[in-house]
Amino acid sequence: MDAGEITMDAASFQFVAFGLGVALLSNLSRSHVWRSIVLLLASIAFLGLVGHSPHVFLPLAGFLLLGYGGLVLLEYGSSRLMVWTILAVIFVYIWLKKYTFLPEGSFLHFPYLTLGLSYIFFRVLHLLIETGDGDEKRHIRPGAYLLYTLNFTTLVSGPIQRYDEFARDQFARDPIVLGPRTIGLQLERIVRGFFKVNVLAMLLHAVHEDALSQMAQPLPTGLKLYAAFRLAVVYPLFLYANFSGYIDIVIALARLMRVRLPENFDRPFAASSVLDFWNKWHMTLSNWLKTYVYNPLLLALMRRISSRAMQPLLGVFCFFVTFFLIGVWHGRTSEFVIFGVLTGGGMSINKLWQLELTRAMGRKGYRALAEKPVYVAFGRGLNFVWFAFTLFWFWGNWNKIDSVFAALSFVQWLGVWLAAWLAATAVLALWEWLRARLLSIRTSAGPVLSSRYAGVVYASALGLAALVMSVLLNQAAPDIVYKAF
Amino acid sequence: MIQSNAIQSSAIQSKASDPGDLKEAKLPRRDWILLPLLSLLTIGIIAVSTELIARRMFTEWVSGTERCKVSSDPLTGVERISSCVYWGKEFESQPTEYHFNSSGYRDDVEFGAKSPGTYRIALVGSSVGAGGGTPSAKTFAVTLPAELSERTGHAVELYNEAIPGVPGLPQSLALRFKDVLATQPDLVLWVLTRWDVKEASSALPGPEAPVEHPAVGGEAWPRVKEDLARGAIRDAASGLWGLVRGLLASTKQAFQDSRTAFLLQHDLYGSQSVYVKYSLSGPDEFAGYLRAEPSAEWQSRLRAFDVYVANIQAQAQAAGVTLAVVLVPSRPQAAMISMGDWPAGFDPYTLDDELRSIVVSHGATYIDIFPGFRDIPNPEQYYFAVDGHPSPDGQAIISRLLAAGLSGGAVPALKAATAPQAAWMRAR
Repeated sequence: MDAGEITMDAASFQFVAFGLGVALLSNLSRSHVWRSIVLLLASIAFLGLVGHSPHVFLPLAGFLLLGYGGLVLLEYGSSRLMVWTILAVIFVYIWLKKYTFLPEGSFLHFPYLTLGLSYIFFRVLHLLIETGDGDEKRHIRPGAYLLYTLNFTTLVSGPIQRYDEFARDQFARDPIVLGPRTIGLQLERIVRGFFKVNVLAMLLHAVHEDALSQMAQPLPTGLKLYAAFRLAVVYPLFLYANFSGYIDIVIALARLMRVRLPENFDRPFAASSVLDFWNKWHMTLSNWLKTYVYNPLLLALMRRISSRAMQPLLGVFCFFVTFFLIGVWHGRTSEFVIFGVLTGGGMSINKLWQLELTRAMGRKGYRALAEKPVYVAFGRGLNFVWFAFTLFWFWGNWNKIDSVFAALSFVQWLGVWLAAWLAATAVLALWEWLRARLLSIRTSAGPVLSSRYAGVVYASALGLAALVMSVLLNQAAPDIVYKAF
Repeated sequence: MIQSNAIQSSAIQSKASDPGDLKEAKLPRRDWILLPLLSLLTIGIIAVSTELIARRMFTEWVSGTERCKVSSDPLTGVERISSCVYWGKEFESQPTEYHFNSSGYRDDVEFGAKSPGTYRIALVGSSVGAGGGTPSAKTFAVTLPAELSERTGHAVELYNEAIPGVPGLPQSLALRFKDVLATQPDLVLWVLTRWDVKEASSALPGPEAPVEHPAVGGEAWPRVKEDLARGAIRDAASGLWGLVRGLLASTKQAFQDSRTAFLLQHDLYGSQSVYVKYSLSGPDEFAGYLRAEPSAEWQSRLRAFDVYVANIQAQAQAAGVTLAVVLVPSRPQAAMISMGDWPAGFDPYTLDDELRSIVVSHGATYIDIFPGFRDIPNPEQYYFAVDGHPSPDGQAIISRLLAAGLSGGAVPALKAATAPQAAWMRAR
């Protein structure tokens, strides 16, 4: 991509400027009609800047039409059709995304836009399920449907917002407040997000790429082990900076348009278990799947299998299915099936571990153990390393994965992962300790570090760094990893 | 509004970024001044302290040049120095001693008659050959003869007649090649860089032309005011836009010339992937030679280069001297070769292939050292990161690869009797 090219589907200067411009226009009137017109036109303009000819939008338009058709059917009382409508939407989604288990000949053979399709898919399914299951039927007008599904702030990589939350803010006659304090906080958040994607993620990505390249070079064993260590630990940090940075930007832009988007991250690497991690990482996706897969599946199984002894194991099984689906959702190839198995497997094993310890130690005993700082620290490290391990099937194809693992012996790899576990344990513990210490420095208004003065200093420094890097490297902003899904 | 079903109500409820209260506490009046000032202060402190640190870390100086004899080269019109020793340090190099002999070349020895049985090489080219930033004893101009002597069993000596800058360019070399031949070499080793090829189509500089700077501030603003006064709003707006662009451009330039920018570049270019991406994203002038298909501009440069190769080879041939040409990979080329993988549309070997074809077509010998970089992990670390010239370790690598290339059979008189052929020489 040329440096001068318009990159709207990344956390670029152009995207931020576009978003700020739209927010400014949107606030010219408090009327919800005006704000909706601005958002719709901006979303259409956004799509126009991403796709360069009308025909690339045809499949996306068809998908949206299918979703809306299903919605209308369900609204008019054909609830029995819900399962078939949902299956049709899932099938068309899989077909448009060209999942490799479908025959190649069945796909459309012209270039078309799939950007944001996954996130539209979740929103459409959410509408269909809620409408089909809801006791009170409400009509969603085509304009509102388009606003919700094509909202440019959530199109590329989410977060996956509920319709009622979106409608509550977007169509409010008395929109939520937007004063100088809020504007300042959102601008700070945009700067922070921009820095995360364009500086931090870029540097971490470079470390990962260099390590990957070194694994294929004729290096002495010591240097190769060091490259493997970096390869193992850096990608989760990169992915976090890349994804959460973009989410920071879109949440702040939406807030400047008086819409509150849901948070997608809650300090995920502070999680001390795999179960806890998925409550803090890509929260809107895992919540969606817990709501629409885990809970219904668990209820259905519990209805069929009444044995009390089996019930905990049913939860383990449902965790596996739910998080296997999360893994598979990330990509169309067999690597993501392994990613899904590892993600679901990690959740299930963690749950089994909890059950086993609770059985052996009793509920109180387990709780006491789980609160011990050493247990928490090692749990945090283990969770980080497990996530890093599963991500090999996320960033790599089979060729890369094979060559990377073949570069070292099994024992050497074991040593690398052990070192990564210990290092992650120590670094994350130190980070948590430091964070707690810094936040304990308080005035009567609260922690100094979270004051607006500290925020301005922090944002100014990050903004300067991001600007300097952009000028110096003259490169387009790195792609947002999650836009590919 | 759609109703939530019983199961999902608690699970999918998301945590909003703020409660969105209908009223917001007022910002104290002092904060309207304090917060922007705090921001400016932060930026100022970071900018100044980084620049001061960078200035301490990266220094450059030259001392002792006042003792040098400066004369104008009668053939090329370019000023050259001779008969002196001076010290210099560039941003990324160690302090280095430069010894220029009376012939005006960076060589510790005075050129003289050839001893019987000695094979003499005249090294020509520009800064890489002259070993800028590398102590003389570590330049490949000094280490190569010893390596060749060891491989071939013959006495080999090398006169370093490479000159940094314009006098080292092909067009200058063609003019002063008689001087090179006058040192009675058996072989002329022409060490090229992509810069030599890029500049091959440019004319030798005459007297320095005055540089025109865009009108910024002082000149442009009165013009805008004049336009406004006579009601020419469009002209005033266009002038104002030009003024803003000029200011932005000069601010960007000032930053790029700062030591802070140098420090950051030095660190960032340590990463192979960042450096390669940066190099490939440059304009054609800097990245064109890395493309799989040379652009029209680079093809024109190659055509100009072809003319000089023909001229120089004709002179060498007439004097019965072998001309061997080698291209030293640039830092991005070395990095890409070692990575073994590059984006579509690019190829680090393109310029190497083009030059080989030109050199061989005129009957000269081409020494290909590019494949040798494939087996060196992160070879870009053997170049100065920002400056791009080979470091002392890079000079040692070039020396080793050149010795292998010259004694590998390309130059019969230097063919090693027993030395095994390096793996990289057999296949690319």
